[in-house]
Amino acid sequence: MSNQSYSETNESADLHVTGEAVYVDDIPVGGQLLTGRVVISPYAHAKIVSFDLRDARRIPGVHAVLAHADIPGDNQMGPVVKDEPCLAADEVTFCGQAVFLIAAETEQQCREAERLIQVAYEPLDAILDIETAMSNDSLMGSHRRIERGDVEAAFAASDHIIEGELRTGAQEHWYLETQACLCVPGERDEITAYSSTQHPSETQALIAGVLGIRRNSVVVEVRRMGGGFGGKETQANHTACWTALLCRATRRPVKIRLFRDDDMIMTGKRHRFLTRYKAGFTGNGILEAVRIELNADGGAATDLSFAILERAMLHADNSYYIANFSVTGAIWKTNLPPNTAMRGFGGPQGTAAIETVVDRVARFLRKDPAEIRSRNFYGTISRNTTHYGQTVENNRLPEMYNQLIRSSDYRERRIAVDEFNATHEFYKKGLALTPVKFGISFTTSFLNQAGALVNIYTDGTILVNHGGTEMGQGLHSKIRHIAAREFGVSLKRVKVSATNTSKVPNTSATAASTGSDLNGMAVRNAAATLKSRIAETIAEVFSEENRSSPTFASHIVFEDESIIDGDHPERRIAFADAMPIMQHRQVSLSATGYYRTPDIGWDREKGRGKPFHYYAFGMAVSEVLLDLLTGRHKLLRTDILHDTGTSINPAIDIGQVEGGFIQGVGWCTTEEIKWDENGRLMTHSPDTYKIPTVGDIPQDFRVSLLRTDPNPGTIHGSKAVGEPPFMLSLSVWLAIKDAVSAVAGHELEPEFSLPATYEVILLSIEKLKAKTLKEASL
Amino acid sequence: MASTISFLLDGRTTTVEFGHSSIYSPTTTVLNYLRSLPEHKGVKEGCGQGDCGACTVVLAEAGPAGRLLYRSVDSCLVFLPMLHRKQLITVENLRHPNGDLHPVQRALVDLHGSQCGFCTPGIVMSLFALYKNHPRPDRTTIEDAFAGNLCRCTGYQPIIAAAQRACAEGNADQFNKGEEATLALLNSIPRDSLRLESAETMYYRPAALSEALALKANHPAGIVVTGGTDIALRVTKNHDVLPEVIDLSALDEMKLIAEDAFSISIGAGAPLNDVMPRIHDVFPSLHRMLSVFGSQQIRNMATFGGNLGTASPIGDALPVLVALGTTVELSSITGSRRVPMQHYFTGYRTTVRRPDEIVTAVILPKPASNLITRSYKISKRRELDISTVSGGFSLRLNERREVESIVLAFGGMADRVKRAETVENFLAGRKWNRETVDEASSLIERECNPISDARASAEMRRIAARNLLLKFWCETEGLEADVESVVQ
Ligand SMILES: Cc1cc2nc3c(=O)[nH]c(=O)nc-3n(C[C@H](O)[C@H](O)[C@H](O)COP(=O)(O)OP(=O)(O)OC[C@H]3O[C@@H](n4cnc5c(N)ncnc54)[C@H](O)[C@@H]3O)c2cc1C
Ligand code: FES
Ligand code: FES
Repeated sequence: MSNQSYSETNESADLHVTGEAVYVDDIPVGGQLLTGRVVISPYAHAKIVSFDLRDARRIPGVHAVLAHADIPGDNQMGPVVKDEPCLAADEVTFCGQAVFLIAAETEQQCREAERLIQVAYEPLDAILDIETAMSNDSLMGSHRRIERGDVEAAFAASDHIIEGELRTGAQEHWYLETQACLCVPGERDEITAYSSTQHPSETQALIAGVLGIRRNSVVVEVRRMGGGFGGKETQANHTACWTALLCRATRRPVKIRLFRDDDMIMTGKRHRFLTRYKAGFTGNGILEAVRIELNADGGAATDLSFAILERAMLHADNSYYIANFSVTGAIWKTNLPPNTAMRGFGGPQGTAAIETVVDRVARFLRKDPAEIRSRNFYGTISRNTTHYGQTVENNRLPEMYNQLIRSSDYRERRIAVDEFNATHEFYKKGLALTPVKFGISFTTSFLNQAGALVNIYTDGTILVNHGGTEMGQGLHSKIRHIAAREFGVSLKRVKVSATNTSKVPNTSATAASTGSDLNGMAVRNAAATLKSRIAETIAEVFSEENRSSPTFASHIVFEDESIIDGDHPERRIAFADAMPIMQHRQVSLSATGYYRTPDIGWDREKGRGKPFHYYAFGMAVSEVLLDLLTGRHKLLRTDILHDTGTSINPAIDIGQVEGGFIQGVGWCTTEEIKWDENGRLMTHSPDTYKIPTVGDIPQDFRVSLLRTDPNPGTIHGSKAVGEPPFMLSLSVWLAIKDAVSAVAGHELEPEFSLPATYEVILLSIEKLKAKTLKEASL
Repeated sequence: MASTISFLLDGRTTTVEFGHSSIYSPTTTVLNYLRSLPEHKGVKEGCGQGDCGACTVVLAEAGPAGRLLYRSVDSCLVFLPMLHRKQLITVENLRHPNGDLHPVQRALVDLHGSQCGFCTPGIVMSLFALYKNHPRPDRTTIEDAFAGNLCRCTGYQPIIAAAQRACAEGNADQFNKGEEATLALLNSIPRDSLRLESAETMYYRPAALSEALALKANHPAGIVVTGGTDIALRVTKNHDVLPEVIDLSALDEMKLIAEDAFSISIGAGAPLNDVMPRIHDVFPSLHRMLSVFGSQQIRNMATFGGNLGTASPIGDALPVLVALGTTVELSSITGSRRVPMQHYFTGYRTTVRRPDEIVTAVILPKPASNLITRSYKISKRRELDISTVSGGFSLRLNERREVESIVLAFGGMADRVKRAETVENFLAGRKWNRETVDEASSLIERECNPISDARASAEMRRIAARNLLLKFWCETEGLEADVESVVQ
């Protein structure tokens, strides 16, 4: 088949728009279903002195009230480090930690039972921010370091030095479907969990763990999630484990679906970071030496924090070559919910740090920041190795920069913005270009593997099972497309099944943007096995009919819904007609496929190696208009150029670019997580936690995919796209900063943090004005 | 008095009974009702509090000129009895009987308007309401239609495109064809007063005002509900049981909007979306505030009665109503009285309203031609966000551009709507220029004592309040009011 791309609509789109798509809470269950509820800690840190569940257990309709001692297996849900109890035992370490579980016939009975649970807590001192954790040496794991060159010597030799601190905020995933799981008991100790999880295999393992049973008794199935964004990579396990415990205790189907506020209170978020930096640079703005110290708020348990910090450190260069570069990192343990994966996985925090540095360098030198950025880009021949030693191959940055500067009219608009600012006292405009270079692969190298099971039925239909989960990113649509293309058949023939641990076992999470890279390859490998079996059989058939010139199996091609002898195109059989032949000739029409990413390797200890299979590139230019009196900004225009290799489905990829970017805009602007002095989440509902709405997107939004060569060594030449565009939202953040900076004629460095809420903006403007006044009066 | 409610669902008249054995209570939300039906799982709960729109459904009712009126609402905020005599339209109802997707569904599919699909049923219904009400909408109208629908996946761009496409070709669909039949079915449901009793709740839905006032007199503790957008949260978020409810949403008398030469009287039960077109020309500052009040879904239910009933210090309509010199009409069985709006509030969520009274109308005097009024709302996010600080200002200048009279009413700066009286007094008689205004704004900072909360710090509130006065001055100088007007 030709290498052209298609933009078929999402394979579930018709189900979405008619309301027929089934999510966990929609699965029909018989009348026996019980509702589960989690009783959580009201304290950030406290000893559980005593509790009494007897009254709660007596409520009619209540079938189970469980505490940690009722857990038949391990009281443990930590995905990497075993430091996360399923139910708190003697101590609670964050507000929102699960302490008891209730199953009842109605939600109201659950609540009544909850009211009757008596617990005595003895509050203890709590650590609620990074600084306090630092001064208490509340470190998780050890300090990490990735270094190249001699930073101190290079500082001494630099023309200019800047230093500073940056805070980036936490972010709530706000998947539209909250955490949910339905567990149905089977024979003996069997259990089936319908979970909204990005990582069914881990969910299966942890359910088996808490129940104290073997993994072959647990099936986890995921039809689709109503959004994941990393929030269901490890933390879906929690709801699944709690549901499973209640199901085991009651021997009835049990469902837990968290109410929105409970979900926001109980689950971890994107890590907030406190970053310190120092940079030395030349008069031309070339970065000579940079030191970045990343401090992440890990929350009360490890979760995926190590890997997240690592990715932040590996992206602290973003797109820039820095000859002398020291990146250090630490995770600080606090009494907040364990922070977890979220789109970008540390990448945004690392990228924000270096983008702040470059922005400041440009302001310091009174140069155009885009220009300074391009001067520091990785080179294509030299200056092209990262601080951890990986060569930046197929570097698209210079080419994309030239294209985007032109297509966005960057230079003309820079002039127009300056003119506008010169003539407006109460409004300022800001413009910024930011790039992204994002490494694709799990940095925990062994996770880069995937499996698939492809079945062909004798009516010629194909059922594809693979280890990836569908959360809206269009994975199943892409997989379906890949399978159809491999077999040379139309999409109608191919169905992608729900993800199920009994079909494809021991899978990795659908995360790190790798879903279609890994699973697509596994499906292709399964298809290859089947195709060679089919080719052999059909070659036999053709040869029997043409004894004089036999058909070679290796010359059989699959295209146009047919199986064809490439040497004798008149010898062809319809795909569907061939399948019964396979059955008659006793050849299996079911095959597994497996894939592992080749050529990667990463030495964590040394901070050296090739952690990434390849890099995805992108670039954005954003322009904002800022109302200096209210702190409100309007995103006037964003131009994005993004590199997806040869896209398997451009519409899906553009959807990922737009959606990822807007989610990033939320992180950069209105999404503000606040905890009070007792460690309680203040912004625990959509009433006060504001994700972007339709009015927050660029008024003029131009997204295009880079026309480029197929990406070598990936499925159909494509590139991953889930996370990289998130980072492009920093263009909006820096455009706002640019507008604020215009208040002082770009002469002063504004105080700024992320998100740039109306409050950050107004306070920053106040300070700039005060400083300008002071300087004027001197 | 009827003890059941009737509405149209799936083309049929559906009757729900309440009582001790019913699984439904009168305060069961339409969302929970629908999700209890196996064939209506399409409606989704994303937040249970009116903020995400995943639960959006459309209610059709007999409107003026014998046509059906279609309104999008958040089903998580609507109590079941509010469906009485209405048609409930859900995402499952949009397919054409021949199986084809509705044009709004088709457009969303073709233009990749769904990713995870969880927001999509709500998006579909908001788009359906737009389709029925606005042929060929402009971008602002489209944004307004979706302001109450959160989508975390798509970035909205394809949804806007789908709206443009779907609404480009008129709104003739199967609902138009069935309109007469639907109206006939709706009209066959008697306009009864309802008295709905369940194990824990006594729910009255009177059909006449006099009856409502008598109920309030006999049940002074009865909780009044008009739009329910505020009260419903007590059920969905606090899980409170409401023992006695008096639902005013069926009272046509309270939905009247009457205009004479001197004033406009707005019924306390008129949904804000019905109010907006009627006040657009006379009270643009009020219109402007209402246009950023909640979302379509909220404004299709919410009322002035509820905004005054809650008496929240951040009630958005309140400062501008004060600035406009509004009086509040309070009624009981003994009669009606009128209270100037600024004397209506007595403290944090307390008012002069007696337990036997309800708010029946607000009366806005028509402004003199030289009265300048403006409203401002500062919120973290523009769409669907309650204000952090709001302002309703009115000003009259003499020919020397001196301040003849000024009202500066602020929301979010005190325990109730607050008039900055020291500042008003300072400004009275002075020249209305930048110097005076700068001086006056420093007084605002001193006069108010706002709080720090999840929305903003006290410091930010003080800066914002001060800036709003400057902004007001800017506008009187002909400068742009907001970023939108700069863009144009
Ligand atoms: C998602 C969401 C967004 C919102 N956005 C905004 C916003 O932008 N700005 C804003 O100001 N508010 C907002 N609100 C709050 C609410 O919508 C408004 O306060 C609205 O005006 C309430 O009107 P209602 O008719 O729905 O009130 P109801 O819920 O019916 O009643 C509210 C209160 O007033 C009392 N009451 C109702 N009617 C009367 C009456 N006639 N006489 C006396 N008392 C009465 C009730 O007993 C109750 O205490 C929002 C609410 C939600 C859920
Ligand atoms: S569920 Fe979110 S608005 Fe109703
Ligand atoms: S498609 Fe996922 S939230 Fe809209």
